[in-house]
Amino acid sequence: MRHQLTPLLWRSGLTVALVCGIGLLPWLSRTDPALTVLKARSAERDPTPEVLADIRDRLDLDDGPWRLLGHWAGGLWRGDAGRSWISGAEVTPAVLQALGVSLLLMAVALAVAAVTAGLVCARTLYRQGRRGRAGGGSAVLAALPEFLTASVLATVVGVQLGWLPALGWYGPRWTVLPALALGLPAGAVLGRLLDDLLPGAFAESWARAAAARGLPRRIIARQAVRRCVPALLPNTGLFVVGLTGGSVAVEQIFDIPGLGRTTLQAALAQDLPVLQAGTLALVLLAAAATGASRLAARLLIGPALRDGALPSLHRPTPPARAIQPFLHGAVLLAVVALGLPRDPLALNTRERLRSPSWAHPFGTDALGRDVLARVAHGALDTLLLALAISAVALLAGVLLGLLPRLSGPLVDTVNAVPPVLGALLVTAVAGGGPVTPALAVSLVAWAPLATHTSALLRQERAALHVTATRGLGAGRWYVLRHELLPAVLPPVTRHALLRLPGIALALASLAFLGLGAQPPSPEWGLLLAENQPYAERAPWAVLAPAAVLALLGALAVSAAGGVRRRPRHRTVEAPVERPARVRELVGAE
Amino acid sequence: MHRLRLLLALLLAPALTGCFASGGAEGSSGDAKSGSRLRVALAFPPAENLSPYGADATILSRLGVTESLTALDANGAAAPALASSWRQVDDRTWLFTLREATFQDGTEVTPAAVAASLTHATEASPAPAALSGVTLQAKADGSTGVRITTANPDPVLPLRLSSPSLAILAEKGYDEKGAADPVGTATGPFEITEVTGTTSATLDRYDDYWGGRAQSAGVDVKFIADGAARAAALRTGQTDLAEAIPVAQAASLDKATRRETATTRTTSLLLNAGKGPFADPGLRAAARRAVDTSALADGVYEGHADAGAGIYGPAVTWAEGKRKQPAGRARATAPDGTKVTLATYDNRPELPEVAQVLKQQLEKAGFVVRLEVREYSRLESDALAGKFDALVLARNTLVDTGDPVAVLASDFSCDGGYNLAQLCDRVVDRAVAGAEGVADTAKRQDAVMAAEAAILGTDAVVPLVHQRVITGVGTSVRGALLDPYERTLLSTGTRR
Repeated sequence: MRHQLTPLLWRSGLTVALVCGIGLLPWLSRTDPALTVLKARSAERDPTPEVLADIRDRLDLDDGPWRLLGHWAGGLWRGDAGRSWISGAEVTPAVLQALGVSLLLMAVALAVAAVTAGLVCARTLYRQGRRGRAGGGSAVLAALPEFLTASVLATVVGVQLGWLPALGWYGPRWTVLPALALGLPAGAVLGRLLDDLLPGAFAESWARAAAARGLPRRIIARQAVRRCVPALLPNTGLFVVGLTGGSVAVEQIFDIPGLGRTTLQAALAQDLPVLQAGTLALVLLAAAATGASRLAARLLIGPALRDGALPSLHRPTPPARAIQPFLHGAVLLAVVALGLPRDPLALNTRERLRSPSWAHPFGTDALGRDVLARVAHGALDTLLLALAISAVALLAGVLLGLLPRLSGPLVDTVNAVPPVLGALLVTAVAGGGPVTPALAVSLVAWAPLATHTSALLRQERAALHVTATRGLGAGRWYVLRHELLPAVLPPVTRHALLRLPGIALALASLAFLGLGAQPPSPEWGLLLAENQPYAERAPWAVLAPAAVLALLGALAVSAAGGVRRRPRHRTVEAPVERPARVRELVGAE
Repeated sequence: MHRLRLLLALLLAPALTGCFASGGAEGSSGDAKSGSRLRVALAFPPAENLSPYGADATILSRLGVTESLTALDANGAAAPALASSWRQVDDRTWLFTLREATFQDGTEVTPAAVAASLTHATEASPAPAALSGVTLQAKADGSTGVRITTANPDPVLPLRLSSPSLAILAEKGYDEKGAADPVGTATGPFEITEVTGTTSATLDRYDDYWGGRAQSAGVDVKFIADGAARAAALRTGQTDLAEAIPVAQAASLDKATRRETATTRTTSLLLNAGKGPFADPGLRAAARRAVDTSALADGVYEGHADAGAGIYGPAVTWAEGKRKQPAGRARATAPDGTKVTLATYDNRPELPEVAQVLKQQLEKAGFVVRLEVREYSRLESDALAGKFDALVLARNTLVDTGDPVAVLASDFSCDGGYNLAQLCDRVVDRAVAGAEGVADTAKRQDAVMAAEAAILGTDAVVPLVHQRVITGVGTSVRGALLDPYERTLLSTGTRR
């Protein structure tokens, strides 16, 4: 009973803390909600004291945050989440409507992601783990910014070719393009993670036995996937929530009335009832997704987990692919070296949006600046900061991942917070200093890594060799240091590197709150954002930063191929031998 | 198992359709009546359930749903609308004569109904922008007259009453809390029949409109916040009219579908005259001289704007002829590496680009500039508090009332509510106060231009460009009303 109760209490505690945090946001950040509400209603209206007083009066703002919160929470059990401060409309139906739209979009995107993940792993599945891994293609895909894919799809497929509607949300045909924009990067990440585990599964004794028995490869492949999917389910759960609440850019480009836009608008206007309701819905969704992913994991490999009868998912031999990272690195270095002598800030509006030429190899942007120079000069800032955040996130993710009871609900809550709201909360607490954006991104970035760590750990703990080591009298620390961490760290590190480009983008997405890099800094995320409106007329201005970002992703992933478990003193047959010994040990207890 | 799946599918189907936006693509077709339906993409979704007291009023008046007693003509003077004529009885009292009209719910537009409607507007909280600082009383007077009395003399009352937020609605449109609902209660040529949240609205022709039956059977409105998406909607033929196409997207539209209208919106560089380096008029003059506005109009706005001439641009038609040269400007002093922060916001995508060009221009003159770009609502309170040395701002110079003095009083006088330049200058205040007191239209305009010259003389504001708004109009559309005040779009003659 206590086992069930403590996490539940912890989870509810976090949710309450989050909702209270939102309720206190204007008072913490000292931003008058009357002013932000007025601006959301009518941007042109002068904020005279009388108008602000009227709004404050109407919204009962003088009651203070606690009474407002209490009033709001009091109506919740009736399903009444209050009225929007901006429009005065009831919150519950509006949020539910937006949630429905977002859930549907997420579901289709997840289907796209599943197909993408399948394609990413197709080669490994076909070759059943025998040497050779998919190249950097999936890493490139994972590094693609959603808004770029979305605007390319909308312009090319929607407008120029006219194959699918590029705008609105009126039926199944309208779901295809946005779902592709969201699903491709998500599927690439999931596919990489799966691809990382599959060779280990194929190296397991049952797979060999099945192959020797002459079972069709199809069946073995299916079982291998089944064997690996549980480790991915928690991360899939995170995507479920992230795609539901955080696909603002795609919702904007395709004009979809989803939850992402609703919460973004509410966060900026400090429309607290809507913000609280939207976040609460996302937190509940996160809890449901976690529950569902646990259930699915139990259905797939439950008995084995319970009995501690899982073989370890270590890949047999690290494929030695030394050339790829050097190739990627060399191209990246060359771009930086060529661009550094150029001036990234010199603007000349007569030279705007020029296509690539000898004078400007990557063309010029909307203010006539040399894109190559900007890409090169932005590289250092972008990379150093993104790497530092990745390192912090990795450390925090692994440490917290070791304590799944503590971190599980925390991950769900953190992941359910829309990014802008997270940044606002961090700013409210930490102030608008130079480290705030990095802090805001790190606070979210550790979550998927922690989830991945816990999922792998759960399987690893159930592995036979761990049971064996424990049976031989090893202490908890010894098992952790010598058995668990070495197995878990490499894939999680690869995962962290895979998300490196995403972190660079997340940093840039906070700029509009006045956090982080400001124009005319050539930071990569900022480059992408400022050139996005010109994507159709001057594709090179967005493609260049997107390409280097993708290259960075490919470099990170291919270099991470080296982050593997050091070959330990055991032969390939070891896993085959061990079960027998373990059974003896277990039997002796 | 299969039966279960079928059952599941049957159950899911309605649940899924619930997840799509309704009020959709092929709304009620007006085949039964003559004329086809217009499809319109508007930029700003309703913020307050289409209440006429806020910014949504503009949506209503642009769509031809609501009307006020008066309207603005091309020269910015008051023109008849629901009131066919008016006269000033004494300096605090005006008498408006109503025309014969009916509300969309079938009731007559009577003096009592109009007086009640205006009274509701005065009681709204917060008060509509056009009524801020004004106390007025409306009473029925005879069978066609409405007598309006103001607490203080108000020479621009007919202009004020043209504000879309003073739209006249039938008694049915007001609830006991004072909220106003224009659905089926207004007087315009089109009647709202359905509103789907903030995504779409359906309008039908109101057959008994006093100005004659509209040529279009109805209007399907979509609210599309993203500018590129609006342009895409026009290009794919999903819409006939697309409002406010961003400059970056203008080139992607056919020239035939691109209509430019000069607007009363001026983008200016405001220099903080209250504190910081620009408190020194010499440095303000240096900054003014460093700015090259033609590089902005051609370079950033791609020619879809006019270089800044004054606070009022070419859309204010009388301004150019009456413009006076600013006198008494300070002599520029050398900046010598003075550090300044230049702030702007990204809600209008061109502004960060303008700020970056300005940064280069100012740095060439010897300033050291740091940029600060935020979302507008995150910027405003800091800007009002004078935390930035300079600010790039796009401002509608004929705010709310259509009265040119209002913007001068709020933006540049000592106790103005929106004095972002932190300007407090006795000469300016006297000039603005002088203009406020003049009743005669021509003389008022002269006084306004004198005040403009006084303000420009302080160099606290450097007009950069006068924006033109680009409206995407499908090639088959006729009769779209594009006005510089952005108050009209559809009328009886608009059709495709």
